[in-house]
Amino acid sequence: MLDRASTFADPEIVQLLKSRFIAVAIDQAYHRRQQDAEGEFYRKIAGQGPRRDFKKTTQGLYLATASGKLLGFNNNRGGDRIKALMKKALEQFQPPTATPIEAGPVDDRYHAPLPEGGMVVRVQAKILGGYEPTTDYWSKIYQDSLSRDNLWVTAAEQEAMVAGRLPPSLQQRLVRFHLIDNTRGEPQMWKAEEITSLDLSLEKGLLSGTVHLETASGNRGYKANLLGHIEHKNGKITRFDLVAHGQFWGECTYTPGAPNGKFPLAVSFTLADGSDVADGVPPKGSRGWVEGYLQP
Amino acid sequence: MNLPGLLLALCIYFPVTSGPFVDKLSEAEFGRLHEQLQASSEVPWRTIPWKISLLDAQRASLSQKKPIFIWAMDGHPLGCT
Repeated sequence: MLDRASTFADPEIVQLLKSRFIAVAIDQAYHRRQQDAEGEFYRKIAGQGPRRDFKKTTQGLYLATASGKLLGFNNNRGGDRIKALMKKALEQFQPPTATPIEAGPVDDRYHAPLPEGGMVVRVQAKILGGYEPTTDYWSKIYQDSLSRDNLWVTAAEQEAMVAGRLPPSLQQRLVRFHLIDNTRGEPQMWKAEEITSLDLSLEKGLLSGTVHLETASGNRGYKANLLGHIEHKNGKITRFDLVAHGQFWGECTYTPGAPNGKFPLAVSFTLADGSDVADGVPPKGSRGWVEGYLQP
Repeated sequence: MNLPGLLLALCIYFPVTSGPFVDKLSEAEFGRLHEQLQASSEVPWRTIPWKISLLDAQRASLSQKKPIFIWAMDGHPLGCT
């Protein structure tokens, strides 16, 4: 979140990335562990940097050649530092005499493809008020942030919606893994027992209802109304526009700094058209347990 | 106070927003919020042609003779948050 609005908002860095580099974004928690060609190539590069213990995070920015030679590393924000790193890497760079790495068998534990016939829905959340005014640069980024994740909908669930039903599996997945405040970092997902009430219906393409999510201690919760439109043509879902809007409260270990008390949070859902590379990123809720995400 | 009068008084004293949920979304609010919560494709970081496979990046690096820039985070940088 912070990097998107700071480092990768710097016009010179953006221009350098577009014209002089091949930019790739990855979840290093997978790459440092996965036992396949993709993981091996990552560990070859990261292992030359300061974060070479692959049992711990290797988060950062790495600049490298196609042969896996590390040209630079940094795990700080700040345009000038990153620009200097990029320019130094460009000075050192010599196109290597390497060959394309064959993908070979992939490590299924860290490779979660969209289920066959599945559909991707873009999920974006925003806090609409409640923050104390701030002039702090980083706090302002959090306060203005719009989060991004993907909801996966299986082929069977699409068929059910075409038939006018809203499958329980989709309802559960939608509220447990996507009605979250992920605008300041990665929060915990809701547990099944934290669904205090859930009343959704799909009638003539109109999806509506209410949800109440709350932890046992009551320190975090969300009460929201939902309204949306689902359309289909020739047996395919052609529109999945949905909004959840309500009062959220609380925060998690990795999402500190929430507004005090209850605050308005809205979450939007939009059918992905594949035009955004982020449409190919697995849902956060599927991380580590795809089956648990698909059949919550 | 008769029953209708009592109900009217309760409605005035406890508006809809003080109930368990906020007001139901109207079509107009749905449309406004849905539009408000769409990321602009012109946001700088979204204009960068990111790849999400390191091996794809390795191949492109070879063919285009450019170094690789890896943005490696806990959680996927293009999603999750």
